Amino acid sequence: MTPRALAGLRVLDGTQVWAGPTCTKLLGDMGAEVIKVESARRLDVARGEVNPRSGAGIYPDGDPQERPWNRAGLYNDRNRNKRNICLDLTHPRGVDAFKRLAAKSDVVTESFRSGVMERFGLGYDDLRQVRDDIIMVSLSSQGATGPERAYGSFGATLEQTAGIASMTGYRGGDPTTSGTFFPDPVVAVFSVGCILAAVRQRDRTGRGTYLDLSQREVTTSIVGEMVMDYTMNGRRWEPIGNRHRVFAPQGVYPCAGDDMWIAITVRSDAEWAALARVMGRPELAEDPRLAGVLGRRAEHDRLDATIAEWTCQRDAYATMRELQAAGVAAGVATQGHQLFEDPQLVARGFWEEVDHPEAGRHPYLSRPFKLSKTPGGTYSYAPLLGEHTEVVLREVAGMSDEEIRELTELGVTSNDPTAFAPVED
Amino acid sequence: MTDRAVPLEGVKVLELAEGVAGPFAGKMMGAMGADVIKVEPPGRGDAARAFPPFLDDAPHPETSGLFLYLNTNKRGVTLDLAHPSGRELARRLVGWADVIVESSAPGRLAEWGLGYEAIAPLNPGAILVSVTPFGQDGPYRDYQSSDLVALALGGLLYITGDPDREPLKLGGQPSEYFAGLAAFSAAMVALHHRDAGGEGQHVDVSVLEGIATAQMYAGLNYAYLHENRRRQNAFAPMFRAKDGHVGVMYRQPNWPTFCEMIGHPELVRDERFRDVAARRDHAGELNAIVAEWMASQPKEELYHRAQAARMPFGYICDARDLIESPQYGARGYFQEIDHPLAGRHLYPGMPIHWGHERWELHGAPLLGAHNAEVYGGLGVSGEELAVLRACGAI
Repeated sequence: MTPRALAGLRVLDGTQVWAGPTCTKLLGDMGAEVIKVESARRLDVARGEVNPRSGAGIYPDGDPQERPWNRAGLYNDRNRNKRNICLDLTHPRGVDAFKRLAAKSDVVTESFRSGVMERFGLGYDDLRQVRDDIIMVSLSSQGATGPERAYGSFGATLEQTAGIASMTGYRGGDPTTSGTFFPDPVVAVFSVGCILAAVRQRDRTGRGTYLDLSQREVTTSIVGEMVMDYTMNGRRWEPIGNRHRVFAPQGVYPCAGDDMWIAITVRSDAEWAALARVMGRPELAEDPRLAGVLGRRAEHDRLDATIAEWTCQRDAYATMRELQAAGVAAGVATQGHQLFEDPQLVARGFWEEVDHPEAGRHPYLSRPFKLSKTPGGTYSYAPLLGEHTEVVLREVAGMSDEEIRELTELGVTSNDPTAFAPVED
Repeated sequence: MTDRAVPLEGVKVLELAEGVAGPFAGKMMGAMGADVIKVEPPGRGDAARAFPPFLDDAPHPETSGLFLYLNTNKRGVTLDLAHPSGRELARRLVGWADVIVESSAPGRLAEWGLGYEAIAPLNPGAILVSVTPFGQDGPYRDYQSSDLVALALGGLLYITGDPDREPLKLGGQPSEYFAGLAAFSAAMVALHHRDAGGEGQHVDVSVLEGIATAQMYAGLNYAYLHENRRRQNAFAPMFRAKDGHVGVMYRQPNWPTFCEMIGHPELVRDERFRDVAARRDHAGELNAIVAEWMASQPKEELYHRAQAARMPFGYICDARDLIESPQYGARGYFQEIDHPLAGRHLYPGMPIHWGHERWELHGAPLLGAHNAEVYGGLGVSGEELAVLRACGAI
């Protein structure tokens, strides 16, 4: 059997929505045992509404069916390789159960608004009482300290407050945000390494620790040069559309077909000559005004028009291959279905198909890294709500059948969200 | 005085990478207390040294803001891997390292006798982390790339921008930074495995696959709904405030609060806006009302007022707004770092607090600053160093 890198590591996961669950998904992919704690009273936002309005959410074939929370694409995308347990953390018995699980876990993760875990009686100091070397990780919007610590955000607003949106936008236009919640996966991939660094520290020193991650700060860490230009030179960046800050030309050009586009970056004078040759415009390569990057920057508008005129009747993929064969960086602006057919992603097995008992069989994105000896993978589908409550309470928390029955009778472990009115944010 | 956070104390990292992604991974490990030795080609150094922004806009290999930011907490040596004498030194460094981060074109290291197959017998515990545009294999392996091309092929470009215009790039170098963080985390996974009794291994990080992971919506929409997600209006629509831009976000329960805030409490009873679907159908009318009101309001004041009412607004922060952010100030996010040639400047610091310990950040190394110290530590004598220098190996 292929070894799993994180075998033996147990993570009690209280995170929700996107960043946290994606982090723990990656840990699960690498072999960690992840127990996700949810509550039927307040579903993970990614599970969607209990009674979704028509057209809302991403359900297989657009059909939420009877238990939409088990069919929500946003949830199923980022919760594979986890077991799922329902606990009402506003009930003292729910808190007690959480602590008994924490006592058996290496790591506890959470992404509530700052201060919520403390109000549950599940802050780091509380958890240390049950396990001295526990590693607790809070993935909050702004961090656990500071005047904005209780502020909420989504990936889209984090792009705004962290700086990246200020340099995103069409030239001369207003700033804007990405078509995804880019900060969430950024935070997820970073936090995996942080957690494992903390585990290493614990293994060597016997000490656990509390990690207080600010999603906003993580996002600012990916705009380093933008910040440095201000702190060194006082310059504030504005959107430059699809252009490059140094190279020219660079742009996104129309191709034949339905909303097809190709991205091209010319990074050197030699690549410019190659592009001109492929375009069948050798006179452009010979034009001394365009031979150097300064000339091409000065003529960028004209070059964009020239390139677009060439690409607009052409097949995007054929154009990409032809340019790449000539050593010019080019790539199709890949649409949804093309992602699943992309020769590179397919050849490297990027998509992993998963059978889900209520959502059916679908391909899901895998990981941004491949490890030769511990590749990891998808071992189980994203769990149904409360699917593993009993087995986890028995096997991990060490509860008797009697205790588990009591929790059921008290409603602490309910997995029926229809029984509860929606809870206010 | 609190202790310095050094969770990676004792980890030895050899950075053969240049540009953004690989060095960003090395920077994170260095901040966490690993001993990072950065290897640069003699003469030109890391390609990032040639990229703006430069201090006072005066190009100089030691004052690129991009390089300075990405290379904190490292020792720097020069070494020509294309030079046989250089490779001899490289093999000694490889024997020293726990983690080796590299970003050369696939196959290049192997040509130099430093591929994983050559490294493993030399140092079975070594973890080789290769960061490349498309990964170590597959039909695009040798393709050329850029941040824009990676965003395009990874599916993020297509879904960003206005529906009636060309797809739009996310600003900066997001694909490179993303791959850097993926490389950092993958190195930690491999290190954990090795320290738990496993072997070293080869980690293959593809910038493309980072973006294909980050796009999420385009893939999921097609897998579940059989339709291609298109560019659509921003998730948190942005409006012009008096002094900048504000992103508006509220959920249905906050709708009355929102109406109150914009001075139009009567909208609560307006059928055109009664729920999310209705507001979407009448977005133009609603946006006109919101835009008119917002134009007179200061951005930060709006942000704080909305947040106080539990509506997760954002406001567009450029670098000055970030530096002046009271939140970042309170957390000490920006750190002043000194550098012998670039001087003292504020840098983005570590984005995570580590218990009660503090991060200690040091300026990027001058080109070859630690040659004598590092090579001396490997047992290379001063005389040998002089020979290697004269031959152009270091």
